Amino acid sequence: MTTPTRKRKLAEEGDAVFDRELDDLPQELRWREWMGRIEAVLFASAAPVGREDLARVVGQGASVEMLIEDIRAELTGRPYELAQVAGGWMFRTRTRFAEAIKVAADLADQSLAFTEMEMGVLCAIAYHQPIDRAGLADIFGKEISRDLLARLRYKDLIASGPRSPRPGAPHTFVTTQTFLVTFDLESLRDLPELELVQHPD
Amino acid sequence: MTYPPATISDDLSTLPQLPAWVTSGRAETVETVAFRSGSALTLLDQLINNERHGVPVKLFANRLALSAATATSKLEGRLAREGDIRDAYHLTPPGEARGPDGDLLAFWRDAVRLRLNTPGEIAALIGPDIAADAAGWLGAGQDRARTHGPLAGCEAVLRAVLGADDRAERVACLLSDVVLARALNWTMVLPVSAQRLTKSVLRDLAAGKQGAGLAVQVRILETVEETIRLARDLARRAEALRAVAPKLRAKGSSAAVELFLTEDAVAPASMLSPRIRGTSIPMTDRAARRLCDRLVELGVARELTGRASFRLYGIGS
Repeated sequence: MTTPTRKRKLAEEGDAVFDRELDDLPQELRWREWMGRIEAVLFASAAPVGREDLARVVGQGASVEMLIEDIRAELTGRPYELAQVAGGWMFRTRTRFAEAIKVAADLADQSLAFTEMEMGVLCAIAYHQPIDRAGLADIFGKEISRDLLARLRYKDLIASGPRSPRPGAPHTFVTTQTFLVTFDLESLRDLPELELVQHPD
Repeated sequence: MTYPPATISDDLSTLPQLPAWVTSGRAETVETVAFRSGSALTLLDQLINNERHGVPVKLFANRLALSAATATSKLEGRLAREGDIRDAYHLTPPGEARGPDGDLLAFWRDAVRLRLNTPGEIAALIGPDIAADAAGWLGAGQDRARTHGPLAGCEAVLRAVLGADDRAERVACLLSDVVLARALNWTMVLPVSAQRLTKSVLRDLAAGKQGAGLAVQVRILETVEETIRLARDLARRAEALRAVAPKLRAKGSSAAVELFLTEDAVAPASMLSPRIRGTSIPMTDRAARRLCDRLVELGVARELTGRASFRLYGIGS
């Protein structure tokens, strides 16, 4: 064992024993324990956890990346995933369960960047694009203000689409690439499927 | 009567068609599908490659692109109708976003313009993520096509793409069309794979269900046979248009006729005026509308949308 390691070990013993190395476990169990620790740390944290912090709970020289990969492999098919985000990793529910979470949890008092109406209009455009203001008015039963649409356009979430074949040739609205990125969708197909509700087959 | 209708019916009888003894009965086994696809593909090949038959090939390809867009919209769960897709594409002002429907038609219209011998064009169309694997899938599909016939090649490439990504329907159908075009030495891609495929058929194919491959082949075969009828129909309509072309006295009418022979839908307000698309010949809005009305009057074109404004004209249906 090299000198620096031993020194650190001594220091940890002074901290009332956190066994990073787990030398007494067989290799496979040790690896599992490390995976468990990383998973636990990420689970307990609301914010992304960086590599350095994670490295502190596993053995010297154990690759955090490889441990994360192994955890990820076990998470396939789960409704949450281990996402790499700015500065570290975090648990994140998969996008398609967003609706379920919204229904279960009352998110009303969280400070979202959108008003409910903006969100509603954005959803209507996402599903019904290309759609013009008259079409939106049909959906909501009232005129949608140009200001609201301008705000969405200012955020680069919607853009002008084809002309609607009605008198006056109003332009329609379509969603943008930024819309997909903002809501972490790969394509419009990742929107919760409406047609499954309408035509279950 | 300003033109002899005889030219149209004469033409009909000289255009090759599938004999009834080929199309009677149903394609049910590998052998019958192979037999029928052999005769159908040979005939289609003749129709599009022999100029003597007068099939307006670009118009034909653009029309197939629209059908393919409608079919893939269904496969992708968007369920846009043909008219909506056509509108989204044609009514988008230059520089604005087309939206998903218009983009889908643009994808297929780009597909029929692919130069198959130029490497990189397919990759540019389907995107870098999936392009890395595309060469391998195409290679496997073409090998399969060489040993088992073109439709088996289509089936193989569809299965390979959907096995890797079950949401890549449009790419799968495109690569299948590429395999078909290469097997027949066509210079252009004709989008025939997507037209009759359904989600459930593709799901079965990807899952390796028994008989799914044959079902896919039967559907592509039916499309090819349908496509032959379309080619014959368009050849007849193009012939009728060419016959009345000398009667049109509007300035630039020959360029306009040329446009009708390449585009399945012509918007007078944007494609004929202020300049006829692809040329520098000017035409006023009013002249463009009058020309289109005149073509409808002569019975060689029809209005496609049924609207009073934002009309689109075409010689096919």
